[in-house]
Amino acid sequence: MKTKKDVQPGTLALMVLKTLDVMGELHGYGIARRIEQISGDILFVNQGTLYPVLLRLEQEGAIASEWGPSEKNRRARFYRLTRAGRKLLETEKHDWEQKAAIIARFFEVKAEDLA
Amino acid sequence: MKTLNRCLIRLRNFVTDRRGDQRLREELEDYVAREAEANIQAGMSEEEARRQARLKLGSAEAIREQYHAEEEVLLLEYLAQDTRFSLRQMRRSPGFTLVVVLTMALGIAAATTMFTVVYSTLLRSLPYPQSERIVAIHDTRITGRSAGGLMTGPRFYDIEARNRSFSSLAIFDFDESTLIAGKKLPIYVRGARANAGFWDVFDTAPMLGRVFHARDDVPHAPLTVVLSYPGWQRLFGGDPKIIGEQVKLDQQTATIVGVMPRGFSALGDVDLWHAAQFTPKAWGNDRGDGLRDTNVFGRLRLGVTLAQAQADLDRIGEQLRKEYPSSDGAWRFTSETLREDRYGPVQSALVVLLIASALLLLIACINVANLLLSRATTRQREVALRQALGASGRRVAFQLLVESVLLALAGGGTGILLAFVLTRTAASSLSGILGQSGTIHMDGVVIGVALLISVTTGIVFGVVPVLEARKVQLHSALKQGDTRLGGSSGNWLRSVLVGVQVGLSLVLLVGASLLADSLWNLMKQPLGFEPEHLLTVRVALPWNTRPEAVRNFYNDVQQRIENLPGVEAAGQISSPPMTDFHVRGSFDADWLPQASNQPAISAENRNIAGNLLVAIGTPLLAGRAFSAADQVSTVPPVLVNEALVREFLPKGNPIGHHLLLDGQAHEIVGVVADVRGVSGAIAAEPGPAVYWPANANGGWHRYFLVRTKAPPEQVAQSIREQVYESDPQQSVGEIGTMDQLIGDAVAQPRLNAAVVASFAGVALLLACIGIYGVVSYLAAQRTQEIGVRMALGATRGDITRFFVRRAMVPAAIGLAAGTVVSRVSNRLLRSQLYGVQPDDLRLYLAVLLVLLVALLAATLGPAIRAGKREPMDALRTE
Repeated sequence: MKTKKDVQPGTLALMVLKTLDVMGELHGYGIARRIEQISGDILFVNQGTLYPVLLRLEQEGAIASEWGPSEKNRRARFYRLTRAGRKLLETEKHDWEQKAAIIARFFEVKAEDLA
Repeated sequence: MKTLNRCLIRLRNFVTDRRGDQRLREELEDYVAREAEANIQAGMSEEEARRQARLKLGSAEAIREQYHAEEEVLLLEYLAQDTRFSLRQMRRSPGFTLVVVLTMALGIAAATTMFTVVYSTLLRSLPYPQSERIVAIHDTRITGRSAGGLMTGPRFYDIEARNRSFSSLAIFDFDESTLIAGKKLPIYVRGARANAGFWDVFDTAPMLGRVFHARDDVPHAPLTVVLSYPGWQRLFGGDPKIIGEQVKLDQQTATIVGVMPRGFSALGDVDLWHAAQFTPKAWGNDRGDGLRDTNVFGRLRLGVTLAQAQADLDRIGEQLRKEYPSSDGAWRFTSETLREDRYGPVQSALVVLLIASALLLLIACINVANLLLSRATTRQREVALRQALGASGRRVAFQLLVESVLLALAGGGTGILLAFVLTRTAASSLSGILGQSGTIHMDGVVIGVALLISVTTGIVFGVVPVLEARKVQLHSALKQGDTRLGGSSGNWLRSVLVGVQVGLSLVLLVGASLLADSLWNLMKQPLGFEPEHLLTVRVALPWNTRPEAVRNFYNDVQQRIENLPGVEAAGQISSPPMTDFHVRGSFDADWLPQASNQPAISAENRNIAGNLLVAIGTPLLAGRAFSAADQVSTVPPVLVNEALVREFLPKGNPIGHHLLLDGQAHEIVGVVADVRGVSGAIAAEPGPAVYWPANANGGWHRYFLVRTKAPPEQVAQSIREQVYESDPQQSVGEIGTMDQLIGDAVAQPRLNAAVVASFAGVALLLACIGIYGVVSYLAAQRTQEIGVRMALGATRGDITRFFVRRAMVPAAIGLAAGTVVSRVSNRLLRSQLYGVQPDDLRLYLAVLLVLLVALLAATLGPAIRAGKREPMDALRTE
């Protein structure tokens, strides 16, 4: 069994936002599984880190939550992206792409490029 | 903005106590249910599925902590939670809590009390507007003995006319008078004659009425009186309508114009101030020696420094030395701040006491740290359990810290309460300048500092157990049997603490024994008189009473006292020993070469009458005492003391020689023994003194010294009646005993010795408790080891010796280090010592012996008990 990696701190919030953006409403367990699934089962989402992130995002107004009926007559807390959350996702995404691009250029750099 | 918003939400959660616990629990339950479902679908049994789900979730406690970290104001939340938990812990072990709190309280109380005294005197600004600008100006002899800094009037007026540094100058002296208000009996009052400048220098507004002005302070102006608060209470019962009232002060009419607020005093406790109406001519040509009784203070002009003022005074002093070489040639002006003037003499003693109290506090704290440490070790299992349940190391450490801060606060609070009581007692019972009303009191600053110290010590000494707790190895601590290996963690720390504690106790004990030895040396000095059963009766006639009236009055009272039942002998003297009184004279002698303007002998002058030498018990060593004829002689003979003979006529017989003063030759008719403390200071070696017949030499204020057989109170009352019968216009001042005067004279050394000795006693006790605790703890911790050792053939004696050695090695190192520290630090004590060297070997040995015996006794108890255990019992303990 290959070892799974914990999610890097700071990136989990972004993953949560994008997952909700794609999936619409989702409960906590679902968010965790989806993130693991999207990562190709490389990542492992610790509930201990997930719930505080959900709480913080809610406090910041990026997501909203409410109790709702779930499948099989069970109740669960569902999270959804708010308008502010969508905006936040846009900025974060932009930031992240910029950062990734910069790092990528560093990896590709060769000595002759800088001559 | 976002952060602020979050903070607000968190704060609201905290305040409304709305916990997210419920929500989190539901989320976690939901998670486990779904995960289990997934597991079942993967083919697990239902039970196994749930188990795996929980395992995957991990520690619920850890998740909760992380979740809460997001949810609430973290620190506040932890604080509230840990406080609750700690209080519960404290209630669970009341004995431990009590010992810790009491130990802390002792240390804090001692330190706070001493700090209050030091803060009240050496740190807090004195209660006058811009008090740092008030300067005491002293007149000091360039060589030889000064007169306590007191000045003669003409020199004051020269300063007033010539200085460029002072915006105002105060001159005042203390005088005692008889006050008659309305039809009431004459009352003795302690007053001060002051100039109008006095009120500008001390610049304090009266509570009622006004102070006196320049126009009240000119000769023949109507007499004005300003009452002090205690004087107002004592003489007039605090009557608010007293302003404008007329009273008789020394048979002159005076008007009360004002009352000063409570706590105002300039120097000494007085009942009233009255306008002195001095003029530069009032002293005649008396510029140099003679009666010196005026105190001088000045208020610096804005922007003038003390150094500039001193330079100015030096310039004036130099001018005067040139202008009046015969009288002013030997004198110069010196100056110091009001604080130095007031508290300089007690400063070094106070600093020593403060340091001693700090040492005691340190010892108490070490004891507390030791206790906390022992407990932290026994609580390792609890700590390990909490960590196993997911509490982070930091979280556990924080809780332990909260617990020790709480303990420190409880101890600190108790200590501050105790200190409050102690300072109140001190404020009313200390003698001298420290006991002056309103001087020593606690305020917010002191309490704040004390609380700060408590919390700081709580944190500093709470860190010790925290460090211990962080070393906890989960599985070994959870297993009960840590005892097999003697669990040595923290033992070295405990040994260091014991060593430090023992060393500090040694420092305190050595200091205490040095001070006690000084006190003993001081008390056993030959006084030159017999203080037992000796009454001192103050009588002061109005200063302008005619000489014959003075003589008749004192002769009459003398006879009346001598005829009282229970009186053995009575005499009169201008001032008894151990009182702060200075009258110096300079003489030539007929056996010494005479140089103009440079009298050969400088000596204290005292006037005596009646049967003084017998009454006070000073032996007459040669010649004769004064006769009745001497008392009315125009060129009276004198008595001199041994010190004068020793210094100026060591090989000859002084009887029949003459002292020369103002062109007259006064025959020396007798030599008396040296009397200690002639001008107040008991520690000073007696200097030359000359005794004059009081009735021939004038002197309107005297003390009667009365040796009694009957109880002193009874005689005191009869003396008051006799004086009243002799002159119904005359009051009698304080009646005290010589023992009281001596008690006051050694009050400071006695206070030093008593305070440091009690600190040292407590320190010794704490050190013994500390070492007892450590040995008991070691023995309990090593129960199994003892069993093994005994099973392998160790005797009881071996076991006892083992523990004694374990405790006494750090103690011995502490003693050695303490000896070194003591030898260095006792130099601070030098100014407080009398007749003993700070490195007195004999004292060190005695203290070492006392400490060793006490510590050994404290060690032996638990060590012997450890040796007495049955090997099988010891082995079975699990």
